[in-house]
Amino acid sequence: MTLTATSFDWVRQLVHRESAIVLQPGKEYLVEARLLPMAQQMGVAGVSELVEAVRNHPDPAKNRRIVEALTTNETSWFRDGDPFTGFTSTVLPQVLAARRPDERLQIWSAACSSGQEAYTIAMLLSDALPNAATRVSITATDLSRQMVERTRAGRFSQLEVNRGLPASMLVRHFTRAGNEWEISPTLRRMITASECNLAAPLPRLGPFDVVYLRNVLIYFDLPTKQGILTRVRQIMRPDGWLFLGAAETTLGVDDNWERVVLGRGSAYRPRKGA
Amino acid sequence: MTLQEAQPITTLLDTRTVQSIADEVWPSLVGDGEAFVPVPVPPPGDVVSAWVDIIGPWTGSVVVTCAPATAEALTESVLMTRPPTVVDAEDVADALGELANVLGGNIKSVLPGESRLGLPQMGVAPPHGRLDDVRSLVGQWRGNFLTITVQGAAPAPHAERDEVPL
Amino acid sequence: MRALVIDDSRAMRRIVGTILTGFGYEVREAGDGRLALDVLEEGYVPDLCCIDWNMPVMDGLQFVMAVRANPAYRQVTLMMVTTESETGQIVKALAAGAHEYLIKPFTADALRDKLALLGLLPEEVSA
Repeated sequence: MTLTATSFDWVRQLVHRESAIVLQPGKEYLVEARLLPMAQQMGVAGVSELVEAVRNHPDPAKNRRIVEALTTNETSWFRDGDPFTGFTSTVLPQVLAARRPDERLQIWSAACSSGQEAYTIAMLLSDALPNAATRVSITATDLSRQMVERTRAGRFSQLEVNRGLPASMLVRHFTRAGNEWEISPTLRRMITASECNLAAPLPRLGPFDVVYLRNVLIYFDLPTKQGILTRVRQIMRPDGWLFLGAAETTLGVDDNWERVVLGRGSAYRPRKGA
Repeated sequence: MTLQEAQPITTLLDTRTVQSIADEVWPSLVGDGEAFVPVPVPPPGDVVSAWVDIIGPWTGSVVVTCAPATAEALTESVLMTRPPTVVDAEDVADALGELANVLGGNIKSVLPGESRLGLPQMGVAPPHGRLDDVRSLVGQWRGNFLTITVQGAAPAPHAERDEVPL
Repeated sequence: MRALVIDDSRAMRRIVGTILTGFGYEVREAGDGRLALDVLEEGYVPDLCCIDWNMPVMDGLQFVMAVRANPAYRQVTLMMVTTESETGQIVKALAAGAHEYLIKPFTADALRDKLALLGLLPEEVSA
């Protein structure tokens, strides 16, 4: 069964609202092809049925999966470079100075998708610290089990490694595996990946020195955003750092954060006494 | 390159890998949302081919074959032309050749050892060697017959003769 | 900003050229490394060269070495854009003086990401 006009229109509006990406009329086949695996996984007959199900039972998690399926090529390595420049220039030196040499730094990639963000952090750390593998641990979580498994595997397609990964890092940290590229075992061991629903009570994690929570809040309503930010703050160090997506902020959502300008970007820190 | 080490392409390259390479090449070169679909359709009476040679521990060609009209439509899609612009024979050789080149380069990278890639050629596909040294994907693009064939050079660079499938 | 797109395939020159023009680049094209050196010698010294590897007459690696050997072209950023994708080939190109490496097939987004890494993406495009 082919995609109905109303289903296509609903998907179009959702994707535009959440990602500002415009799906032109005529891209029905693209929606069909990209959402079919999700429909099959949910056990519904086709993509129109999938859309019907999500419309009748609104679920931000499923909305996010739909948007991600249609914007998959948006996952790049140094996506919005600023959070990574700020990390190496300001955040990492400060955090290292504040901890004892035998204390392990804990970093959280809170919506890790297929792992690019977590591995970008791992590559930066291994370039900056000779003992990165023992000094730092990175926790990568995602709502989707499939994404968690992809992160664990650390294998990326040609098109994925083409997205903003410097060639010098590609040849230093990856080896060819068929027509895919596999991250080095040393970097993979720095990362622990698990499933986690940010909109529900969190498992025992942390305490984190640095949290990357990018392009997640945009999918939720205000009370859910507040809930997420509160739970994240509870498992962060009082002097920790939070990076949000370029279009996201805590301002007007949760007053318990302080915005810090880092180069061309910004980060957030728990407000003292909050 | 030694004769003993030369293995047929069927042991070096599986269908899934060729398909996954095509899955990446079509959207980026032919156009957003375009795909090579591995569902065979009847072959046309007349076909043209573009290919690149791979020279190394395994030596052969990566060949793209389709009807002349399909080659023209592919070229229009690659070049993003709109009517009334028409593509000429040189455009077709160039665009289909680049398609073979990008497929060939990616296929070369999954083969063992160091190999060299030739420049694209267009015309009647070169003859292939042993049947077990051919990995062919028969399928379609926009409903039109198209094949991607990775074939050993004739004569085959290895001597075993008892594995030829019927 | 100025770019020189070097590829023996007209189709590929058109694809890369169209993307770069969309980013606000002035674009010139050359069909092989030798012709590209001619363009540089004429005085068109671009900010960026996008360079295919396998070309007749002079290949992309030889072009990179020739440009790197001439101090007059020190400001030119060199990016390989090629279907050659073995680790050894990428290392060879970087060692010869290429600044970045984009593997074919690629998308317009991938080219944009590489330009952003190189600091060669106009501000209004990166926003």
